[in-house]
Amino acid sequence: MKFAIVTDSTSDMNKELREKYNVDYVAMNYVLDGKEYPASLDWESHSPKELYDLMRAGKRISTTQVPRESFYEKFSSYLKEGLDVIYISCSSALSGSYNLSTVVAKELKEEYPNNTVYCVDSLISSLGQATLVIMADNMRNEGKDAKETAEYLIANRLKINQFGTCDSLEYLSRAGRIKASKAFFGNLFGVKPIILSDIIGQNFAYKKTKGALNSKIAIADDIAGAVINPEDQILYISHADAITSAEQLKELILERAQFKGVHIDYIAPIVGSCVGPGTIIAFCYGKEVTIKGE
Amino acid sequence: MWTNNISVNLWRDMLAGGYKNLKQNMSVIDDLNVFPVPDGDTGKNMTMTIEGGISAARGDFASIGELMVKFSKSSLLSARGNSGVILSQFIRGLAVGSENVVEFDIDSFKSAYKCGVEYAYNAVALPTEGTMLTVLREGGEYLLENNFGDFTECFDSLIAELHRSLKHTPELLPVLKEANVVDSGGAGIICIFEGMQAILNGESIDDIDIPVDSSFVDTSNFNEDSTLEYGYCTEFILQLLRSKTDIDAFDLPSLTEKLQELGDSVVTVRDGSIVKVHVHSFVPEQVIAYVRQFGELVTVKIENMSVQHSEIEAKKPERQKFAVVATATGDGIMEFFTGIGVSYVINGGRTNNPSAEDFIEAFKQVNADYIVVLPNDSNVVLTAQQAAELYKDSDVRVIKTRSLAEGFSALSMMDLSVDSIEQLIDDMTQCLPYVKSGYVTTATRDAFLNGVNIKKDEWISLEGDTIYASTCDPVDAAMQLFEKLPDIEEKQVITAFYGYGADENEALQLENAFKEKYPLIEIGFINGGQDVYRYIFAIE
Repeated sequence: MKFAIVTDSTSDMNKELREKYNVDYVAMNYVLDGKEYPASLDWESHSPKELYDLMRAGKRISTTQVPRESFYEKFSSYLKEGLDVIYISCSSALSGSYNLSTVVAKELKEEYPNNTVYCVDSLISSLGQATLVIMADNMRNEGKDAKETAEYLIANRLKINQFGTCDSLEYLSRAGRIKASKAFFGNLFGVKPIILSDIIGQNFAYKKTKGALNSKIAIADDIAGAVINPEDQILYISHADAITSAEQLKELILERAQFKGVHIDYIAPIVGSCVGPGTIIAFCYGKEVTIKGE
Repeated sequence: MWTNNISVNLWRDMLAGGYKNLKQNMSVIDDLNVFPVPDGDTGKNMTMTIEGGISAARGDFASIGELMVKFSKSSLLSARGNSGVILSQFIRGLAVGSENVVEFDIDSFKSAYKCGVEYAYNAVALPTEGTMLTVLREGGEYLLENNFGDFTECFDSLIAELHRSLKHTPELLPVLKEANVVDSGGAGIICIFEGMQAILNGESIDDIDIPVDSSFVDTSNFNEDSTLEYGYCTEFILQLLRSKTDIDAFDLPSLTEKLQELGDSVVTVRDGSIVKVHVHSFVPEQVIAYVRQFGELVTVKIENMSVQHSEIEAKKPERQKFAVVATATGDGIMEFFTGIGVSYVINGGRTNNPSAEDFIEAFKQVNADYIVVLPNDSNVVLTAQQAAELYKDSDVRVIKTRSLAEGFSALSMMDLSVDSIEQLIDDMTQCLPYVKSGYVTTATRDAFLNGVNIKKDEWISLEGDTIYASTCDPVDAAMQLFEKLPDIEEKQVITAFYGYGADENEALQLENAFKEKYPLIEIGFINGGQDVYRYIFAIE
């Protein structure tokens, strides 16, 4: 292993994925009823159902970025072994973790001058961030070094496309994590926004559809329009406790594009508390994103 | 008495006679309603359309051509409802056809009438036979094919022909036959011509006051906490009286001087024993008391200038790129529409059709480069289009929403941040082909339609013009509608506006019944506060 790959709680990579691609992660925290919990990707504090039911019952969950100490300890543990590190972060438009990681990386350079922490802002989150992590592992397996891999990731990160929808924009707007034209606010009953991740990595509700089925059809059409070589890709779908919806979306996408496999999983606590229950998001690798939210 | 010519004064009085007779028969015409739902308004719409023309075309005119220009212009503005728009276009055609006419002789009357029919037909994209258009046209054809000794004979024969044509309308239009009525618009036309005929024959029609053109005054800016800032604009005409003053010795400059003590902006004009006065004053009562020592007031107008002032201020919003004007009824629906981006909601719709002038006033108020209009009723679309054609200060686009449900659907997909009007219209119209409009209301009479045995005063449910159920329970009527709608399983979202006596509890009852039956379809309720309709459903 030439370098270590570290991501964070917004990558939504379960244990199986992390082991398969040999990835470590640093945890952010979520706060519920004044108590802070580490945002474990293995759901150690609350089960997905518990957490989303709490949100449905009106509980507010807030989130905090990766603590400085966590970065320090995680990065040091690899640097100590003489390894470079690539940290693939949640979009800097959604979390301050990336910025903090660059500060910690600089400090550690003084301590470990022979090795480097390369911080890569994924400009996306959830399984889109995971897609970038998996690309990094593929390059590592091809024998590329950390610097080359980090540069490639930065050059190609906007080719990861995200199309999702949520039951209500309330969560995203409350968390200050969405750009949407005024037309979207007021939470019109039955109107579903289609949300992409734009060129600066912010969520952008760029169009609306009427009805749950139509929103999935729109996402499927957008994925089919954006994807390049789906036959070589796994289709990633994440959901906030909406498995039926996610399965339906899968079918609609597969009718339009032949992916070699499908991975469906829960959206983990950090992203989940920002998007709210009912959210579904699909990701693919394809055409470079060129849209910038207003 | 042989009448070979109709003078401008006689024609003016005939028009007034036509209006009076129409107004007297208004509710009879309203009741000629194809559907047993409480929305018959043809008589009212035609009356209000022509009323605008009548009240504007008072006084003396040099020629019929001159009179008709004024009459037609005001009728176009006050046109409401499809029947009103068609009538106003018929009048417009009459005006065009009589442009150079000083007095009508039979030939010039015939050609003006012919021109009227052409304009009426051009008012609608797809003219339907068996309506007032047929009645007008057949009357015109009859006029051209026959010779008349004088106008009395001409009107007698024309009216007989109009009656014949009207009786025939159910043969041309199956919905009329099914409902066992004749066309209401055609009946309105006959009322007008019969009123004109009565005046022509020297008969009188029971007097109905012709309303004076009066503009709407917004008083909302002067309330319990306001102070009088600008005084009163006071205008009056004073008749000097011999019993009170020596008229020959009356000195206008000294009156003017006194008025300047009581106010400013004084203008006084004397014409013999009549004095016209205009003054802005904080004490109009003193002005009036003072001048009454010389005579009595013929007319007087006293207006609070704070109201006037703020009206002028309110009328100048900043020019915006896009604005949406929509009609709606019900406080809840109007407020809801405003909340989701409508700049100006015109109070009106299915049972209270707005006039072209109402639309033009809205266009002025919103002050935008592009104005999108949602008529939200099939009987308002033509009026909106007429207003759009008459208004020149903005690019006005009418989306032909035929119901509140369609208007709501268009609004829900609207995004005012787009770059072009084409994009805006595209967004708003993309869902329209799939929207169904459902209603629950009361039956106004017994009927048998679409296999449904309808009983007066029962709750009936409809989709568009198709009646699906008649029952004594409004929730049941709604549920039967959903059960009988052929493509309900393909629908995803239903938005229900409740009003007309329905409360939250009943809405909840309907919501529960619906969710149990259709777990996959989303349903949401909005307190619309509308009249007539217990429920209005946008089914998408």
